[in-house]
Amino acid sequence: MSAVTDAGEFAGALADRPAERGADWGAFTVTHEPATFNRPWSNRFYWVMMLPAIILLACISLYPFFWLIYMSLHSVGEMGQIEGWNDFRNYTRLINDKEFLNGWWLLIKYSAMCMVLEVIIGVFLAVVLNGSRFEKVLVTLFLMPMMMAPVIAGTVWYFLYNGTFGWYHWLFQSLGILDAKSILGDPSTAMFGIVLVDVWQWTPLITLITLAGLKRVPQDQAEANLVDGAGPVKNFLQITLPNLYPFLLIAILLRFMDNFRFIDAILVLTGGGPADATKILPVYLFDVTFSFFKLDRGSAIAFTLLLVTIILGLLLVRVFEDPSQKRAATAAGA
Amino acid sequence: MASREIVQYRSPLRTAYGIFAVVFLAAYLIWSLLPLFIMFVSSIKDLLEAFQLPAVGDWGNAIPTFFNFTPTFAHYENLFVRENFGVYLQNSLIAAAGSAAISVVLGAMTAYGLSRLEFRFKKDLFFWIISTRMAPVVAVIVPLWAIFRGLDLVGTLPGLIIAYTTFNLPFAIWILKGFFDNVPYAIEEAAMCDGCTRLQALREILPLVAPGVGAFLVLCILFAWNDYLFASIIGSGGAKTLPAATRGLVQPQNIQWGSIMAAGVVTTVPMMFLGLLIRRYLVAGLTMGAVRE
Repeated sequence: MSAVTDAGEFAGALADRPAERGADWGAFTVTHEPATFNRPWSNRFYWVMMLPAIILLACISLYPFFWLIYMSLHSVGEMGQIEGWNDFRNYTRLINDKEFLNGWWLLIKYSAMCMVLEVIIGVFLAVVLNGSRFEKVLVTLFLMPMMMAPVIAGTVWYFLYNGTFGWYHWLFQSLGILDAKSILGDPSTAMFGIVLVDVWQWTPLITLITLAGLKRVPQDQAEANLVDGAGPVKNFLQITLPNLYPFLLIAILLRFMDNFRFIDAILVLTGGGPADATKILPVYLFDVTFSFFKLDRGSAIAFTLLLVTIILGLLLVRVFEDPSQKRAATAAGA
Repeated sequence: MASREIVQYRSPLRTAYGIFAVVFLAAYLIWSLLPLFIMFVSSIKDLLEAFQLPAVGDWGNAIPTFFNFTPTFAHYENLFVRENFGVYLQNSLIAAAGSAAISVVLGAMTAYGLSRLEFRFKKDLFFWIISTRMAPVVAVIVPLWAIFRGLDLVGTLPGLIIAYTTFNLPFAIWILKGFFDNVPYAIEEAAMCDGCTRLQALREILPLVAPGVGAFLVLCILFAWNDYLFASIIGSGGAKTLPAATRGLVQPQNIQWGSIMAAGVVTTVPMMFLGLLIRRYLVAGLTMGAVRE
């Protein structure tokens, strides 16, 4: 909706026609002019409203961003003091940095594993839940893990995974999936350990989004398909899934970004170990910057991470703003 | 729902699906709530009782062993008497509420302007705002820490409030803009025709957006409360919050599991209630307004 109206022009037009002043307008007679006509509507009001937040946001996001680039091009001391230009060494060193490349690989692996499990379980859960008798209560109960601080979730699972008194360790051993080794202590299982925590906490989000999508699947299409002889499975694949697509896309992109954003649980669970098996890029960045206080190299890594996130963000915004998908996703929204 | 009207014949397959659905939902419910339940129960267990486990494969003894304890609130007492958790709770409250208040007030003003005004670089402004929100905290924290060190803001509550505002303000702007978009401009126009000024016209529509603004205020509190990275780096020293303090209890030697679980309960329970309170807005909030229920 546009705020630009032609009221100002209207007032101006009226003022330009002196002949009509004092004219008989039928119902009443205009005997004297108004003291002033309405001023043309200016947009200054809106700018005044917007300015404080924009200035504040520039101070806390734009300025640090440029500071980050500046730091990544210089040698920086432990306390953040600039020690001089160093010919892009921070960046050129990254190319041979095994941990850096490994960090990206692990980040992709971690995100992909989380995503596949969460989408499969989440969509399945939503389909089973949809229209069931206790839908409302169950969804509310399923939401509970999401309200937890990720670092607390990590701490609780650290306790559950513990090799000597953790209940989940006992459970997995009793089920015969795990031998005597501890889940987080072994490089081959540690990744599954952190993926499981993410799946536990964030699958409900996928379920919620999918449920919202399922409510908007056009029932006439589904009915027509059923009349045409499709079974429930065929109906799901042919009608429900294509209609769910924009919702799933949003869910997947959001989860991807959050996997980049949150490392709280991993820091508690493994801290990147054992033998760097879970040192995904953000964890490595955290290590470089706040364990070894190499702020210059940290800045360079952070810059690469930000760049990838911005590209993902562009994708997300495109999905948000795509008219067909926007209509699908927000139709009937309050 | 329309699908209910489709005649469904009872077939063995359908019955099997029904049973399967119930089993699956029950299994997921247990999987989802068990860690929370164990956290609650462990927080009122004595230290030795919390360490009891049945032998591997001994399924029959699992439940008796788990419930074999006498409830004690010693861990909660320990937290608040010896561990200063009262202070941390207060820090958490101030930091979360402060940043949420700043974000929502400034965010609502900006969102209103953005919703009513068309200008040239609006799309770019928008993208900047959302990418600020999407930026990984680990990457943002590097320059922020360097800058805050120079300003002596590390380890102070104002520093933490500003840090939280980096993700709460763009969130508030983005999501409230969608809210203002849904309020017809005609209402303000009508108010202004009645002689209201711009500000008074804005006041006319405030009751319409108030529930949403309130809900997203709560959501901002939730995001800030649950943060750990900013709290551990920017807040380290003078402004320890609950998640950071809980993490601090985990030490290589002498891990006080009872107290840690109690701290987890103290940190989690208020947020669960807040989550229930704004249940209706949760999906919109967690998907940046892209999906509404």
